[in-house]
Parts: sequence; C-alpha cells; structure tokens
Amino acid sequence: TSSVSTSFDLKTYWSTLREEINTKLDEAIQVKYPAQIYESMRYSVLAKGAKRAPPVMCVAACELLGGNRLAAFPTACALEMVHAASLIHDDLPCMDDDPSRRGQPSNHTVFGMDMAILAGDALFPLGFRHIVTHTPTDLVPATQLLRVINEIARAVGSTGMAAGQFVDLEGPTNAIEFIQEKKYGEMGECSAVCGGLLAGANDDEIQRLRRYGRAVGILYQVVDDVLKAKSSKTDDEKQLEQKKGKSYVGVYGVEKAVKVAEDLKAEAKKALEGFEKYGEKVLPLYSFVDYANDRGFSFADQA
Amino acid sequence: KVKETHSVASFDFKTYMVEKANKVNHALDEAIPLKEPLKIHESMRYSLLAGGKRIRPVLCIAACELVGGDESAAMPAACAVEMIHTMSLMHDDLPCMDNDDFRRGKPTNHMVYGEEIAVLGGDALLSFAFEHVATATKGVSSERILRTIGELAKCIGSEGLVAGQVVDICSEGTDVGLDQLEYIHLHKTAALLEGSVVLGAIMGGGSDLEIEKLRKFARSIGLLFQVVDDILDVTKSSEELGKTAGKDLVSDKTTYPKLLGIEKSREFAEKLNKEAQEQLSEFDHRKAAPLIALSKYIAYRQN
Repeated sequence: TSSVSTSFDLKTYWSTLREEINTKLDEAIQVKYPAQIYESMRYSVLAKGAKRAPPVMCVAACELLGGNRLAAFPTACALEMVHAASLIHDDLPCMDDDPSRRGQPSNHTVFGMDMAILAGDALFPLGFRHIVTHTPTDLVPATQLLRVINEIARAVGSTGMAAGQFVDLEGPTNAIEFIQEKKYGEMGECSAVCGGLLAGANDDEIQRLRRYGRAVGILYQVVDDVLKAKSSKTDDEKQLEQKKGKSYVGVYGVEKAVKVAEDLKAEAKKALEGFEKYGEKVLPLYSFVDYANDRGFSFADQA
Repeated sequence: KVKETHSVASFDFKTYMVEKANKVNHALDEAIPLKEPLKIHESMRYSLLAGGKRIRPVLCIAACELVGGDESAAMPAACAVEMIHTMSLMHDDLPCMDNDDFRRGKPTNHMVYGEEIAVLGGDALLSFAFEHVATATKGVSSERILRTIGELAKCIGSEGLVAGQVVDICSEGTDVGLDQLEYIHLHKTAALLEGSVVLGAIMGGGSDLEIEKLRKFARSIGLLFQVVDDILDVTKSSEELGKTAGKDLVSDKTTYPKLLGIEKSREFAEKLNKEAQEQLSEFDHRKAAPLIALSKYIAYRQN
C-alpha cells in the first residue's frame, strides 16, 4: 500500500485545509472590547507557521468515514483553541518558563502573566462554545456533539494533558513515556476520535481512530526530538534538553528513539487497516503517518 | 392571595439553603474523586470543597425547580458553575493576579500546592465542568444539554467573567466611572450568577420566555450582590464580615459607596432588588419562594 500512499498529494490537501482553518479561526476571534484579551488570544491562536495538524487530522478522520467536512470545521477550530490555551499556560514562568513559542515570544512575554492566564481561561470555553454555536445541526446530532465535547474536555483535563504537564514538572524522572503519551498522544487521539464522532463512526472505528491518533501524536513528538537532537549545534544545548528530561532522545538516545518511531509508525498504519473498505479516503490519514515520520515538506510561511 | 403571601413568608430559607448546599457538597465530592495524579486532584478538591455558601449552585437548582424540573436534572450544571467559580478564584488569587494568601480563612491554593498546580488544577476544573455537564446530566434532552453548555461557555469567557476581570485589571490606578464599574460587576460577578440561573432554567425545561425572565432576574441580583458587598466593606467590621473590612478603601478601589455615597448606594440596591422581584411576579408565588428568599438574602445579608 505504500506505493498508493506516495501518490496522494498530502501537501495540497493539508495546505488547503490549513488556509480554511486559519480563516475560520480569524473570524472566530475578532477584536472587541476589552481589546487586550482578544489580542492576547489571537496572538497565540493565529501564530504564524502553526501547522494545524490536530484540525487537519480531525477533518480527515471525519471525511474518511463519509462525514461532511463542514461538520468538522467548528470542532477542528475548537481543538486549536483549547490547544493554544494549554500551551499559553504551559509556557508561564511558574510552569515551563518558556520565553518563546513557535518562533515568537510566548504569550506572557508580550501581554503579561495576568493576561496570559486569562487568555487561556477564555480560550477553553470559547472552544466549547464554538462547537455548540457553529456546528450545522442538520449534519451532526446533539448526542454526538456531546460526545465530542466530552472527548475534548477529557483530553485536556486532569487525567489527560494536565496530568502530562504535571508529571513533566514534578513527577518521577523516568516518566518520559507517560509524559509523551499525555502531552502529545492525547491531542492526536482526541483529534482523530472527534472527527470520527462527527461522522457517526461505530465503536470499533472509534477504537481504531483512538489508537491511530495516539500513535501519530507521539510519533510526531519523538521525531521532533530526534530532529532537534541532530540539529543542536552545541553539546550544551543537548545537555539542557536532557537535563529537563523533556526529550525522548535526551532520556534514551537517538537510536532507541528512531526505533520507537518505527514502532509507532507501524502501529498507526495497523490501526488504519480496518478502514480499507473506504478505499482512497484513507489516504490522507495514511500519508499523515509518513509525514509525521519523514517531514517531507513545509509550508511557505513557516520559519 | 393572602394565603400565597403567607406561604412565602413561612418559607424556611435557612433550612432550604442548608439542605441544598449539603446535596451540592455531596455531589461535588462524588464528581471529583481522588485519583492519579493525586496532587492535581487534591488541589482541585482542596478549593472546591473548602466550604462557601454555594449560592450559585443553589440558584441553579432553584431556577430548575421553579420551571418544573427535578433537582437531579440541574445537579451536574449546579456543580459545574461551582467548579468554574472555584477555578476563577484559584487563578484570581495567584501572585501575578490579586496575590492573595488566604481565602475563606484558609491558605489559598497556590500557597499550599504551588503556583503551577494552582494553574493546572484550575484549568482541569474548567474543562471538567464541561465534561461533567455533558456526561452526568440525566433525564434532559441532548439539545437542552448542548444549549446549557453554550450558555455556560458564554458567561465565563471573554464576553463574560474573563471580560470583567480584564477590565478590572486594566482600570487599576485609573479613574473608574459608574458605567465602567457596572461593566466590571456585570461581567465579573453577575455573568456567572446569571449563567447559574439560566442553566437551571434550561435543564428544568423552561420556555424561552421563562428563561429570559429568569435571566433578567439573575442579572439584577448579580449586580445587587456586588453593590451590597461594597456597602458591607465600608459599614461592617472585619469580625462581622469574616474577612478584612475596609479593604476597598485601603486599596483605593472604586466602589459604589465611593462613587454614589452610602445612602445612594443603598437606594440603588433597593432598586435592583425591586427589579429582580418584578421578574418573578408572574411565576407561581409558592414555587418562586426559594428565589425570592435568595434575592432577599443577597439584598439584606450582613456578611
């Protein structure tokens, strides 16, 4: 099947969706009174160079199962809103203390800590609200939307991404698998599952999307770690990464990380096997796995 | 008519509040059990179960029962508004915000668990509030639950609670006029009280007309709540209040007594109380007794 997958033009598919998502996010967060909060929210959500991987995975999963992409856009936008909220709070001085994010100063560096806290606090509910007010009711039944909301809330919550961030900050030192799974796997899993729920997928299909999304989410980060380790100019930088215990490579070394990436790639593709009856529709999700592993292209506006 | 008035007068508000608050406390305790990672859940429970009058959840339940719904239909929403109220206090108390060491006579969340946990625990309560409404609400149509989630998200986000906090922060050290003061209170305090009542009315199966009447009622008592708070701060001792009195004067905060004087502030409070009562006049007097008593309690409380 790999020869089929290479014939799919993921870059065009992704770029098109990415532009649509960017437009919708821009419309969803218009500046009004009090301007400071909207500017702070927009700064992080509309950061240049954001790939929009979670929304694209959500839309692709929805389309795979025969759903209309219009049904998925509001949830796709919500994923970016709640994700941005988590990242804004993760960067705070009392957390990871990161002065920059996506190649620009982090939110609190620009807007102050108080505004950064409030921007996050506003983006979580905005995500849920956006789903409720923008999803076409003729395309998605209310019961399914409740499941979507539950899925997102659980993914970012105290046993999901917040748990990952907590263990990252003060958990045991050898908890890298847990951290990767919670901080990155949850978002991938949630994105794929939401797409499936919006299309009315059955339980077996949801389980497959769960495994797929989780594997791809972690794969993405492990490969990031490998690329970062290879590009780090000095040993000091590498040591800093290792000391923080945030990098898979920092804990296990490049060789094992590459092996783990291979396993995750195989796991993600295996999860897609049950979707072969949908024919070519599986190609976006399929080629997504290869992209996560190879990073075959970048977008024009990316640094 | 005489009989009706009698039934309201004989309504035992104190017993009602204690009974409902106990049920809410029990439901909150069950909603967030202690689980891994322990520290996040301990932090969530520490602030959520720290006591408090539970005015918001009781308003939610009372509104639900007024329009003919069961207490159980509103309980998850009632818990959700208390979770949101709690998380906003956790974040508000942080050093980069109001920097408060004590709340309800106990050390604030970040004093006990650290700032990073106070941020994460607050975020987790926020997302869990939505998860809880989506999954724990029984006997209510999915459409109504969805509408409730939309309302909740609106009243706490950048058009509600957060907007009030932002304008409050940005107006520190400036001359605040009456309009701006009202904006701050309508958003910072009244929005969530309004949400509490509206959520209950929706869950209880209220008609659009009933929901709008109750919305107006709640907005009036929300503002009333703050006007009374301002008056108490200058007229009562710390001992009587159970918190530091005269705090607003010391911090040179703009308050209703400062802008209007005590007498005019009392008149304004009376006007708001009257407006609130008027909204309830067309409901069954006996069924409205709890809300009537709640608004009188807010208007005439001594601490």
